[in-house]
Amino acid sequence: MENKLKRYEKIAFLGEGQFATVFKARDVETENIVAVKKIKLGSRVEAQDGINRTALREIKLLQELHHENLIGLLDVFGHMSNVSLVFDFMDTDLEVVIKDNTIILTTANIKSYTLQTLKGLEYLHLNWILHRDLKPNNLLVNDKGVLKIGDFGLAKMFGSPNRVNTHQVVTRWYRAPELLFGAKQYGTCIDIWAVGCILAELLLRVPLFPGESDLDQLTKIFDVFGNPTEENWPGIKTLSDFIDFKPLPAIPLKSIFTAAGDDLLELISSMLVLNPMARKTCRECLKMPFFSNKPAPTIGSKLPLPQNIRKVADIERQSLKRKLLDAAEGGSLSKRLFI
Amino acid sequence: MNRLGITAPSGVADNTLGLSWHDSTWIPILNTTNVMEYFSQASNPFFDRTCNNEIVKMQRLNPDQLLNMSGLEYALLHVQEPILYVIRKQHRHSPQQVTPLAEYYIIAGIVYQAPDLASVLNSRLLSAVYHIQSSFEEAFNFSRYHPSKGYYWDFKSQKGAEKIKTVEKEKPKEESSSLFQRQRVDMLLGELIKKFPLPAIPSQVKPTNPAPVKTEAENGVQENKEKVEVKQEAKVKPPPEKKPRLN
Repeated sequence: MENKLKRYEKIAFLGEGQFATVFKARDVETENIVAVKKIKLGSRVEAQDGINRTALREIKLLQELHHENLIGLLDVFGHMSNVSLVFDFMDTDLEVVIKDNTIILTTANIKSYTLQTLKGLEYLHLNWILHRDLKPNNLLVNDKGVLKIGDFGLAKMFGSPNRVNTHQVVTRWYRAPELLFGAKQYGTCIDIWAVGCILAELLLRVPLFPGESDLDQLTKIFDVFGNPTEENWPGIKTLSDFIDFKPLPAIPLKSIFTAAGDDLLELISSMLVLNPMARKTCRECLKMPFFSNKPAPTIGSKLPLPQNIRKVADIERQSLKRKLLDAAEGGSLSKRLFI
Repeated sequence: MNRLGITAPSGVADNTLGLSWHDSTWIPILNTTNVMEYFSQASNPFFDRTCNNEIVKMQRLNPDQLLNMSGLEYALLHVQEPILYVIRKQHRHSPQQVTPLAEYYIIAGIVYQAPDLASVLNSRLLSAVYHIQSSFEEAFNFSRYHPSKGYYWDFKSQKGAEKIKTVEKEKPKEESSSLFQRQRVDMLLGELIKKFPLPAIPSQVKPTNPAPVKTEAENGVQENKEKVEVKQEAKVKPPPEKKPRLN
């Protein structure tokens, strides 16, 4: 245990959440930069299982999941009564990218982000895991342009029949309508809805449905898609929190996403479908023409980075350049000497 | 739905050169500041809504960001208040480098695509060849053969006199243009001359008043061109007009 503590050298404080504190650290053994998430002990009730539940979920699930587009859990260690998780270090997340208006998100960039998200999510779903908290803030991006799905604090195995889940999952703006209507049994479609909302946010740079309450959230959704009926969503009235809305007409997506091509609109409209059964799965989405049509998704190294990270990268590149230049000059000098 | 007008000759759906578009609610309020917005209407067939202009608008970014993007964009190239606007469609490679793809002109609110040189030449050649061919066919109708005389022309038996009359009627119509049109054309030509000055202007004329001289010179050239065209038309015009009556 002692050498584990020494293995990770703290570099900087990254942030503090409800359950944990995150540090940037250097792995002394491999010289890699990592993120160390130190779980807070929490209240007596939370700690009665011995360890915080969100941390337990992350440890349980991530140990078995290995995919390019999922955050990698590298190590777990305990010290005194604390537990720390060691993750891949990620420079930024999509929320920062979306809010930085010096960044232009081209169709190719958006295609790259969506493709990586769906690939990671497909792997998750194939392994019978729901993420249940997809939002731009949880899609982490590193300086090589690799997107990884992070924060598995709400993730859960799914697929057991009759198993009752809580519908109080997913940050409200990305919450699917069936959850807002109180569905206790749901599947991969809730993650797809969230990805649809994130895709919309990449296009518009503002959240598509910024609801102020659960009811307001439903109103915002139905303002766009019209309200659901028994015809387009059979069984909707059986949901526990169902309420009837006054009839609203649907508005064409084309008038919201004015610069989106037809293939992109087709993708959005197959992810954001009110009836969860009609929503496409990750695999079906990945097979849609949007991903095979031009333009090709931006390669990782060309994806935009937020201003603060870009500057650091530039400085590093410049210093590298200078080193190279110095080396070159040194070389020519020695050549001259030889002559 | 008379407000929006797209006219397209049938059978040439893929050829945008034959298209025109307008939105009559916009025409009275068109000016330099809103002409790009007018052009970016979703119903405009010349506007590709996946262009960078629309991306910047959708993402609520600063319009100056256009310079930092690469790809398709539209830019207002030339303004001649209140009648003419020229918009260029271009592919941007870098803030400094662009490749023009097409140009559109909005004259009196109606949008047309400016044809490329190849299309103009193609169309002119095609019509010239067509007219030459029909003149041959026409002439063939008047040739006669008699064993003792050999080949000879016979114009008397046809209604030649009437045809000449119709030709004379047509001619003045083509030449008429309003004072307004002429002034505008002079202005445009003047602009053109400013951009591409004529090389061979005698130096003695210059000091008096350079600009008008240039336009005059250009007018001269233009007139010559027109003359040439008129001549051509005078030569080739009669046959097609005769044709329907003959057949």
